[in-house]
Amino acid sequence: MAKSAEQTTSQSHDLRQILRASMDALLVPLLAVLTAMILGGLVIAFAGGNPIYAYLGLFQGAFGSTKALSETAVWATPYIFAGLAVALAFKGGLFNIGAEGQLAFGAVVSALIGYALPDLLGISLPAIIHIPLAVGGGMLAGALWAAIPGALKAYTGGHEVINTIMMNYIALNMTSFLLNAPMKDPNPLNVVARTPSIAESARIPPLFEGFRVHWGFALALLVAFLVWWLLWKTTLGFEIRTVGANPDAAKYAGINVKRTIVLTMALSGLLAGLAGTIEVTALNYRHELGFSVGYGFDAIAIALLGKTHPLGVVIAAILFGAMRNGATRMQFLTQIPVDIISVIQALILLLVAAEAIIRYLYRLRAREERVVLTRGWGG
Amino acid sequence: MKKLYFVIALLLVASMVLAACGGAPSEADCTKADVFCVGMVTDVGKIDDKSFNQSTWEGVKQAESDLGAIVQYIETTDSKDYAKNISTFADAGYDVIVTVGFALGEATAAAAVQYPDVDFIGVDQFQAWQYDEDTTNDIANLAGLVFPEDQAGFLVGALAAQMTKSKKIGGVFGTDVVPPVWRFGEGYRAGAMYINPDIEIFIVYHSDVGFDKTFTDPEWGAATANSMIDKDADVIFGGGGKTGNGAVTAAAQRGVYAIGVDTDQYYTLPEAAPRLLSSALKLLTPGTFDLIKLAKEGSFPSGNFLGKGGYAPYHDLDAEVPAEVKAKMEEINAALLDGSLQTNVPPVKP
Amino acid sequence: MDWRRFGVIALVIAILFGVVVLIGKNQTPPMVIITSMLATTIAVATPLTLGALSGIYCERAGVVNIGIEGMMLAAAFFGWLASIYMNSIFGFAPMPSLIVGVIAAVLSGALFALLHAALSITFKVDQIIGGTVINILAIGITGFLNRQLFFEEGSIFGGNVPHAPGILPSIRVPLLADVPTFGRMFDQQPITIAAIALVFITHYVLFYTRWGLRTRAVGEHPRAADTVGINVARMRYANVIIGGCMAGLGGAYFTLQSVPSFEPLMTNGRGFISLAAMIFGNWTPIGAWAASLVFGTAQAMQINLQFFRELILPEWAFLKNSYIVGLAPYILTMLILTGIIGKTTPPAADGVPYEK
Repeated sequence: MAKSAEQTTSQSHDLRQILRASMDALLVPLLAVLTAMILGGLVIAFAGGNPIYAYLGLFQGAFGSTKALSETAVWATPYIFAGLAVALAFKGGLFNIGAEGQLAFGAVVSALIGYALPDLLGISLPAIIHIPLAVGGGMLAGALWAAIPGALKAYTGGHEVINTIMMNYIALNMTSFLLNAPMKDPNPLNVVARTPSIAESARIPPLFEGFRVHWGFALALLVAFLVWWLLWKTTLGFEIRTVGANPDAAKYAGINVKRTIVLTMALSGLLAGLAGTIEVTALNYRHELGFSVGYGFDAIAIALLGKTHPLGVVIAAILFGAMRNGATRMQFLTQIPVDIISVIQALILLLVAAEAIIRYLYRLRAREERVVLTRGWGG
Repeated sequence: MKKLYFVIALLLVASMVLAACGGAPSEADCTKADVFCVGMVTDVGKIDDKSFNQSTWEGVKQAESDLGAIVQYIETTDSKDYAKNISTFADAGYDVIVTVGFALGEATAAAAVQYPDVDFIGVDQFQAWQYDEDTTNDIANLAGLVFPEDQAGFLVGALAAQMTKSKKIGGVFGTDVVPPVWRFGEGYRAGAMYINPDIEIFIVYHSDVGFDKTFTDPEWGAATANSMIDKDADVIFGGGGKTGNGAVTAAAQRGVYAIGVDTDQYYTLPEAAPRLLSSALKLLTPGTFDLIKLAKEGSFPSGNFLGKGGYAPYHDLDAEVPAEVKAKMEEINAALLDGSLQTNVPPVKP
Repeated sequence: MDWRRFGVIALVIAILFGVVVLIGKNQTPPMVIITSMLATTIAVATPLTLGALSGIYCERAGVVNIGIEGMMLAAAFFGWLASIYMNSIFGFAPMPSLIVGVIAAVLSGALFALLHAALSITFKVDQIIGGTVINILAIGITGFLNRQLFFEEGSIFGGNVPHAPGILPSIRVPLLADVPTFGRMFDQQPITIAAIALVFITHYVLFYTRWGLRTRAVGEHPRAADTVGINVARMRYANVIIGGCMAGLGGAYFTLQSVPSFEPLMTNGRGFISLAAMIFGNWTPIGAWAASLVFGTAQAMQINLQFFRELILPEWAFLKNSYIVGLAPYILTMLILTGIIGKTTPPAADGVPYEK
């Protein structure tokens, strides 16, 4: 009996510990968002606007109606995938600044499979085959695109930050080329650099009739869970985290560090490719130039705000999606330029990155542990 | 922890004070029949681009001052928001919605079908259904505002060919993927060749960057114009948003003739004004206003509405333009208008 | 000096020039093509050179700076803003307004660098994240202010077109500039001239002065530097701020030298390219300048190939496609990073916060 009581107390003690830890983990991002919103409000006021009405508009536009909620989810979907991509790379000690390029490349490939495959095979494919093919193709393309800088990092030491930035430019140049010439929608009325519409059979349907929110959002939540499972419940995840925390120790523990680096980048690119793929197969039904506006950088902010934890990423992505979505209504009501959202997001990132500022501002106790995210160019 | 609550409370109070300072948002009730509201949705681009979006917005603003309309704009940040931004206005009961740029064409047509009581103006959106036999796809509440860019380009091309001494002229443009831009460029070429078939023409499109950058890269425009001037070109036509503006200002700085685009850039590019020979005009502001006015009067035209083109006055350089050149320009303009002279530039790049 | 690297750079530049000359020679004399391409190259390499110098100061002292892009963008905006204020509000003549503009640009570069220094040195934030913060913050602030100050009604400039005082006039090197054809190269604008001078000044400072020795010590082996009495944090702060000044001058190129207007996002990734130029040049000023010239040549080639579009032979048709030609510098950078063309060796303590 005594033993069991002891167990219960220790269990409740553990529970309290976990609760306190998660409280602590949540507190800083929460205060960072709050502080950034207040500072952003000051900027709005300084510029002659009314921050309260601006934020009311923002909130209304993001959550004020079922349609608004649906649009927020639409915005959050690519953010979740791209945020997970960056977060996963962080866990492996890699900085993937190239989500933008991987996303574009994934989108192009899945659009190609979406519109060209049925004609190529001369048969119409059932959705149950065509959708997985289009989505899988896009994922694979993103994975390959990211595996290149991964391999360069592992085998030559070329730093992934520069290489992924370069790969971004290469991807954007190549998509511009493809969408302007070989893959351009041949419809004589079309003047835009974009692919033809993908076949009906490659389209992911909306979740609810009459709303744009689609099954891709549900998939994003599922993938977030899978990433969590991968990182904390599998050997591969353990290896990724070990290499991220300490590559030397990982090497002594018998982990194939090089292989793990390539795999981590590939998985990260796979998630980024998924972001592009879902935009094509579930929302736009085609790929169009200039459809991705800075997802790569936003994804970094989301991953950091989410503390590189999948659940955190989902929450951060919904927050960012809500801000981007609500910005329309904010501008409609108050004529505050949408650029203010970028200012607020930068402030959030700043405050999350420099936890010390938040801890100083709100007199919080400092935590001892420090998460190593990246290292210098040398490796 | 106490301190934390104190800080939060303080911040809350501060935000209340801020709220009190600002004014209430004025949301007029556009659903009322007697309130005439005009909304404008930009392409992925900003309202203050000193070109396309801004000229159209000025037309909308004119409706505010002349017709007493309530006006409002929304800037699109991502192409997936086209439909949402349009319906933000439509759901609020706006009477006229102006969408700017060919990229919004499909979303605008779809919205026009969905909201039959709202008049839609699609700037630079060519309405092909007007020319087919099928009447079932006609959209009565949609007008595409299009312009004869090829003729405007032809005119300034002819002017450039007559004013050049080196027999070399240049043109710096945004991407040729956008038909109006391509038509300016090819019209320019055709006009110059019409005057002098042997003239050397440097034409460069900024197609080497993404779509979001092609109109907003003045530094590239300036570098390109300078490179042309180094090769002896002595007239530079800059067409395509800020990229073209960069070329125009660089040309003016180097002392050669500069030619602007869209509006009379004598007024929008004061830095280039002293060397600005003319501008290839595409009168967005009056075109937009005219259509809004027609909508208010209840005689909204559907299908394509042809706006005005032409060339701007010579302003400061009037004395440098010989009388016979002026006469020739008027002659060409008249011939283009009555159709006796054709530019032979197709509507889109083949 | 790494001769192999300079050999590769010279070869690449020569090939790019050669292609254009070969295509265009029947229409325009080769000398005219070469000088005009050189003039373009030198001009467009200016912000890249300054950006790379910015990176060199920071990273030689051990602080990774991927925020060059943001520092340049902010400097371009605030420098331009200051010149307009001086000219249209305080009524100064164009030339003094432009000079104030350049100073303001350099100072705003320094200010953003101070933020980066505080984040990475004092708060020990991951330096790449610090740089990302700078980039996003600069985009947001310049975009927002540009709108609020110039477009919105009731703003300072009341929605009118801002009347910028123009751009910095070019300076002709006496005698040399009068040489026919080649003279064009010696007729350059002040920031370009300053950039080239700064390349050699930086080279001297880094390798032949006490300051340079200390900077490198702090970047290579901060603990050893600390032991001999060098204040690591102070050295790092100073160098990051100097780096910010360089990026600021690079930003001034856009709005005070190239064109008299500001455009959101107008730096268009030049900051990231200069980072590549810095690595390409193996963290040496002269190497980075040479690398900037490679990128400049690639841009000059893209422009010039379009002039001669019709003359390109069918079997070389891919050259007509500017997207494909545009890939060259990025692929080259990645090749350089792999170590195939000469090994790159970053400062040993680059990116590592120093803890006593």
